[in-house]
Amino acid sequence: MERLVVIWCPELLEEGARGEEARRFARVLARAGELCPWVHPVRLGVGALPARGPARFFGGEEVVVSRLAQTVGEEAKVGGADGLFAALLAARAGLIVPAGGTADFLGPWSVATLARPDLAVTLQRLGVTTLGQFAALPAASISDRFGADAAVCHAVARGESGELAGLRDRAIERRLRVARGEGPDQGADTPPPPSQPGFFGGASEADARAARSFARVQERLGVEAVLMGRVQGGRDPAGQSVLVPWGSPDTDAGVAGGAPWPGRVPPPAPSDVLRTPRRAEVADAAGRAVEVSGRGLLTAGIERLSVDGGPWQPVVGWAGPWPVTERWWSVRRRRARLQVVTADGVARLLCTERGQWWVEALYD
Amino acid sequence: MFAFHAGDPPPPRSRELPAGLADRVRPATPVAGRTLPVPPPLAPLFPGGSLRRGTTTTVMGQPGHGATTLALALLAAASTAGSWCAAVGLPDPGVVAAAGLGLDLRRVVFVPHPGSGWAEAAGDLLSGVDAVLVRPPGRARLTAARHLTARARERQAALVVLLEGAGGWPEGGDLALSVGAVEWEGVGRGHGHLQGRRAEVRVSGRRAAGRVTECSLWLPAGSGAVAAAEGVGAEYVGAEGEGEGAEVEARGGPPAVGRGGGPEAA
Repeated sequence: MERLVVIWCPELLEEGARGEEARRFARVLARAGELCPWVHPVRLGVGALPARGPARFFGGEEVVVSRLAQTVGEEAKVGGADGLFAALLAARAGLIVPAGGTADFLGPWSVATLARPDLAVTLQRLGVTTLGQFAALPAASISDRFGADAAVCHAVARGESGELAGLRDRAIERRLRVARGEGPDQGADTPPPPSQPGFFGGASEADARAARSFARVQERLGVEAVLMGRVQGGRDPAGQSVLVPWGSPDTDAGVAGGAPWPGRVPPPAPSDVLRTPRRAEVADAAGRAVEVSGRGLLTAGIERLSVDGGPWQPVVGWAGPWPVTERWWSVRRRRARLQVVTADGVARLLCTERGQWWVEALYD
Repeated sequence: MFAFHAGDPPPPRSRELPAGLADRVRPATPVAGRTLPVPPPLAPLFPGGSLRRGTTTTVMGQPGHGATTLALALLAAASTAGSWCAAVGLPDPGVVAAAGLGLDLRRVVFVPHPGSGWAEAAGDLLSGVDAVLVRPPGRARLTAARHLTARARERQAALVVLLEGAGGWPEGGDLALSVGAVEWEGVGRGHGHLQGRRAEVRVSGRRAAGRVTECSLWLPAGSGAVAAAEGVGAEYVGAEGEGEGAEVEARGGPPAVGRGGGPEAA
């Protein structure tokens, strides 16, 4: 689940008689967009943005949230959490829910927050009033008894998913374009809704059919579930591989990054680039941990490898280390990479930083 | 057509379909559109040299032995030919590797974390794109497998199922590819760099009427593409690739783009 920061403007949630709320909300988004990229409207009065990049840039989610709250005006409340549902509740309360704390945070809230009146009434008759109690029910019984939509609600209550049908207003982009005085279907600066045929320029029947199926999967699993790959310049596989949600403005950028990057890992590229690197231990024949010295050399030959505390596997070959010193102008990061082949025929790309080894990628 | 009638007398007139009916029973998809191209090094594995629409192909192998690479490579030529492709359940797809295999990234979507909704997501995609690669999170349930194979047949899309380790596919696929023995080349004890993986790929299954039942491939070769390891084929690097048609050295070593045994010097 993606970490999201949500901007919640209590005064702009409903369209008033004079219809100025959409215009004011568009200005809120524009002001937020000056501070952080990827701000997108969820529905009228509610905007969201991915938290990771801005948090890294500003030095923490607290800073991002407080700066956004100061900048956007309209008495907006800002909060952050894993997934859209929890982030919305967090924004209303003006909180930042730490990563992994979603289920605990959601626990005390009423089942009515799911905006499923029938389900809420039934659950309350059964004595289940909070999301925590709902989450404690077995998942299989929920889908058997209440159907697929309730199963999605259950996953949301357990903090496993953040997307719930009805959270997002699919027509909001169009309303905002009208509010900005642009034509409902033109507007160069905002991405057209992904479900719209013709997004890929050609507007062939096959493209439209594909777009419809992607939109269906997005409805099922969330907007961030359908991704397109892009290649950009960078030294490590994780930096070169970029996955962006399908339908976001630069998915058409295609393949870039032909410039040489000193210290780049030579091709072929690994087929699995781990988004969360796995801890690894590397040992020599005597069982001592192997490190990379200050001169960029291994302290001993590598004999064994263990991943995630698993069993030791004999190493049949390795290449490297290739030292990488990045960002020497600010925080100095000294890392080194190593390709390691174990006796079972599996090749991995390892990286070491401050004495700790990580598996960054697999050649599967 | 009808080669098995070659020696027989022509069929009697009464067996011919009435003119009106013949038009109506014509297949809904034109013959030329019934297959999707595969990279030339993989063509010998497939009957007719291409991936047939409406069929299910399983790709098996030990984790880390190149089954992911092989499964992704099956989509390469189709995507460069303009077909939409989708990969469901590959948790950490290496985009650079996919591009290196020849996939056109503008035609491929990834659904890396479908969770328990993997079969539904794959089903949705089968009705929209031409080829779907799906990696079930564990052993697939029979109902899910039947649903997907039926959906692929009905929508005339190619389904590629990636099975690694213990996960199985309860339905027998039309074609089963399995990666056997693998060996990495180019890396020694502290020198060189990974240049290619030689893998034995075996073909079986209901429709395994291809020219070969086993072949040796580079999965991938040094350039990141797939290549035949016996020197019988050419390395495939996509439709506009400059290496297409280039001869591959027989058995000497992987057809690598030599980088001098290390990363580009700083």
